[in-house]
Amino acid sequence: MSKETVFTDLIREHQALLYKVTSVYTDSKLDQEDLFQEVVYQLWKYFDSFRQDSKITTWMYRVAMNTAITHLKKKKRRPDVQPIAEVLIKQSDAKDEVYEERLRLLYKHLQHLNTLDKGLIFLVLEGKNYNEIAQITGLQASNVGTRISRIKKKLKTNMTNS
Amino acid sequence: MEIEELQAAWLQMSKDLNQQKKLTNDIILNMTQEKYQNKFRNVTTYETVGAFICFCIALLLIVKFGKLDTWYLKACGIFSLSYLIVLPILVLKALKEIKTLDISKNSYKANLSHYVKAKNRLLRLQQIGMGVGILGMFFIVPVFSKISSNKNIFEIGLKTEQVVLLALTILITIVFCVWAYKGYQRLTLSAEELLKDLV
Repeated sequence: MSKETVFTDLIREHQALLYKVTSVYTDSKLDQEDLFQEVVYQLWKYFDSFRQDSKITTWMYRVAMNTAITHLKKKKRRPDVQPIAEVLIKQSDAKDEVYEERLRLLYKHLQHLNTLDKGLIFLVLEGKNYNEIAQITGLQASNVGTRISRIKKKLKTNMTNS
Repeated sequence: MEIEELQAAWLQMSKDLNQQKKLTNDIILNMTQEKYQNKFRNVTTYETVGAFICFCIALLLIVKFGKLDTWYLKACGIFSLSYLIVLPILVLKALKEIKTLDISKNSYKANLSHYVKAKNRLLRLQQIGMGVGILGMFFIVPVFSKISSNKNIFEIGLKTEQVVLLALTILITIVFCVWAYKGYQRLTLSAEELLKDLV
């Protein structure tokens, strides 16, 4: 199998993962598409350097999140730029008002977190355990736990106050 | 609302996204061809063009330096040269530093820390550049007046309309700089908080 085939299969299989990372670090559809493209480009660029010592998804999370750090947001020139939460809601087949409201609220509060906290809470939402989060972020596993409970508290306070 | 409820919404979204496989091989391969507009490359291009213009002006100043016939014009000339050469080099260096992240191997924490520090350095340089730029008018104007029309404005002075024009330019520049400085301050402050958090 050619390198291109292996790569395209990988991206197609994990496109939801990339979609989610890029939606957390952006606030409009335009920005998300830009970042998505940039992430795929970076994954391709470093594809040969991937060593089998970690899971491929761990490596993909790392590359995607590292790329997002330097992503510059586009200035909103058009007033009709769609917020990312609305784009995700539109894509959903299930018409559930509670789900939609929760998703809107989640994205609203995620936008207010700093880059580090955003990355950590994203990995929690993805169901990663502390060791996996530590592997991706480079933080100590014990430190991850402390930080995450602090971010959860912060989120809860923000939600109560809003 | 509880965090667990948000997590449930996230799970639902993940399930929806997993069912949607929109990307084709062609779309993915297109994305690998570097056709997208990398905004950092754009910033670097603008800064490189700016630096090139500064270097051209500096070159012109070096060629015509002999026309600066008094010690104070020479001092202004040296100051102008430093501004036109050193600052663009430092800005380009800072931009290069920002881009040297090891996206594949370094951890999120290491890259975030490197990026925030490098970005802060660039912001500070731009702040310094603005401050020096205002001062710069006082030494660049006499130098270029001398080399372009052989007039020493320290001796002949400025006409009233020239004084008004210069004062207006300085005023507008100061207003712009104060506004930009506040923006930079806000950015560097939040970056410093993040850096503290990363330790």
